[in-house]
Amino acid sequence: MADDTLIAVDNIVTRFGANTIHDGVSMSVRRGEVVALIGGSGTGKSVLLKEIIGLLRPTLGSVTLFGESVWQVNDAALRALRQRFGMLFQDGALFSSINVARNVATPLFEHTHLSTADCLQLAQLKLALAGLPPSAANKMPNALSGGMRKRVALARALALDPELLFLDEPTSGLDPISARAFDHLIRTLADNLGLTVLLVTHDLDTLLSIIDRVIVLSNGKVLGSGTVAEIKQIDDDWLQAYFAARANTEK
Amino acid sequence: MLPSLHASVTDTCLHLEIAGTWRLQTFKQIPRNAIPNATSSVVVDGSALTYLDTSGAWALLRLLHEAGIAVDTPNYLNFSPTHSAILDLVRQNFSASLADTAQTQRSLLAQLGRLVSTGVQRAHGLLAFVGVLSVEMLQLLRAPHRFRLREFTNQVEVVLVYAVPLAFAMMFLLGLVFSYLLGIQAKQFGANIFVVDGAALAVCRELAPVIVAILVAGRSGAAITAQLGTMKVYEEVDAISILGLSPYSVLVIPRILALLIALPLLVFVGDVAGLLGSMLVAAHQLDITPISFINRLDQVLDTKTVLIGLLKAPVFAIFIGVIACYMGLNVAKDARSIGVNTTATVVQSIVVVILLNAIFAILLVELDL
Ligand SMILES: Nc1ncnc2c1ncn2[C@@H]1O[C@H](COP(=O)(O)OP(=O)(O)OP(=O)(O)O)[C@@H](O)[C@H]1O
Ligand SMILES: [Mg+2]
Repeated sequence: MADDTLIAVDNIVTRFGANTIHDGVSMSVRRGEVVALIGGSGTGKSVLLKEIIGLLRPTLGSVTLFGESVWQVNDAALRALRQRFGMLFQDGALFSSINVARNVATPLFEHTHLSTADCLQLAQLKLALAGLPPSAANKMPNALSGGMRKRVALARALALDPELLFLDEPTSGLDPISARAFDHLIRTLADNLGLTVLLVTHDLDTLLSIIDRVIVLSNGKVLGSGTVAEIKQIDDDWLQAYFAARANTEK
Repeated sequence: MLPSLHASVTDTCLHLEIAGTWRLQTFKQIPRNAIPNATSSVVVDGSALTYLDTSGAWALLRLLHEAGIAVDTPNYLNFSPTHSAILDLVRQNFSASLADTAQTQRSLLAQLGRLVSTGVQRAHGLLAFVGVLSVEMLQLLRAPHRFRLREFTNQVEVVLVYAVPLAFAMMFLLGLVFSYLLGIQAKQFGANIFVVDGAALAVCRELAPVIVAILVAGRSGAAITAQLGTMKVYEEVDAISILGLSPYSVLVIPRILALLIALPLLVFVGDVAGLLGSMLVAAHQLDITPISFINRLDQVLDTKTVLIGLLKAPVFAIFIGVIACYMGLNVAKDARSIGVNTTATVVQSIVVVILLNAIFAILLVELDL
């Protein structure tokens, strides 16, 4: 395995009761890549993401992040590991009782010894990087639109300047214009900050615009991995229908 | 390597050499106030920089800013491509990060005003809620087939059936303790049998209705608010309206009616339990056999006393139901608000129950009942 492999997933098997979700999934992501995970609904993309970041224990198999085995290290090591990556949850998962600036500053409050003023100013910087105006800082999460929630969540995921970013359906629920702007933002940040990104998406435009490599999940296994052009060649009903849907709308 | 900054002034040019690791983890070690006030042109040299992230870049820009140097004026030299990309990105957003968004502390008067105004709004909203509810109830009378029987029976099950053991246990213990303490006093005067009088009156007229109402407020009132509140947050309530249904007839009325049925029945269970507890104490402590206990009960406990207790219950039920449903349907769209409103339901319901009970007591005395 190359030295610059950030994420290595080895032969993951996941079962919920008699229901097998993953049946030997292996994949890896190298430093600096922007990788998309796609697959039909219910193929276990979100579950895989949770297993990679140490929220849900796989039935079998191992996950290695930054060279450390997520499911074997102790709690302290896992906590340290978690400071090195950010996660954007599907619905933002903002803390509803504190305002936007404090939401973004929470990781800083918890993991650094900086003064409150410094934390809040760094939070403002992250909000600006995520494309939000300064006036958003004092809003409460329930006063935000879907697109703004995603941006705040992105700012929070960036708070600790992580090397690695996980995004679960970053553009779902956004209008096409906001979605493209969000894609562009992710790519810019990835390029400029040297981020590695693993994202789950259903959005073909995201795939076509900002992704280096696609990993396709199907029937509990990795169906294929490669650039969009390579993936298109795979003879699979779901994949063909997926790309055909796009071709149809363009006609 | 620790972050460091070396400043040197050559004739008219300020030369800043930054080195080491400038990142969040070393943020505290970044030197403050290390830049002399600028004379004219400024050069920042990043050739010895080993690591830079957005926090480190921001710290550098803030140093410049604090020394009175606009962040766009210096000449940034010898930064590696990645470092200069980060620096550029942060520089573009630097002014936004300094925007003053500190919340202004509200004055005492403003806080008081806000408190009063929300109070008035709440009262107003509650009144409107009761109004709409009454209208919907009347409409339901005209079209009884629209009544949600399933929801109603479900609620009766949750509010009544599952609460029976709890109500029974609480009132049994209360009747027991009450009669025991009363018995100790009564024994001294050889007035053992009067314990039955006291227990019967207290349990049926006051204790059972109030205690059971408080139990239901804490148990079902809280559950109703939390459930309706969660439905509100997930827009289920909106979905119900969009389907052409009324949240009042689908959600509110079945719950209030369920409480209306359940509370008197639970009070009756409480009556029986309290008297049983009392009977147990009487048999063991006061040598009153269950038979003589019941005979005495027959003489001293008139139907009126029991009825008064049972008739208070529906009144309590309506107030608990209205408060719980109103609070549930008026949560803001966040998790915290559900907690706040659930607490408010319990507190307000209990206060209202105790207040109503006091009003009943005075009223009934005035009416010679
Ligand atoms: N905690 C759980 N218990 C039981 N089954 C679960 C659990 N979490 C997920 N599943 C099942 O695992 C499967 C995969 O779920 P997952 O959320 O990963 O799908 P997904 O690929 O993210 O789909 P989508 O694209 O719709 O988000 C689903 O069939 C789901 O029912
Ligand atoms: Mg999912």
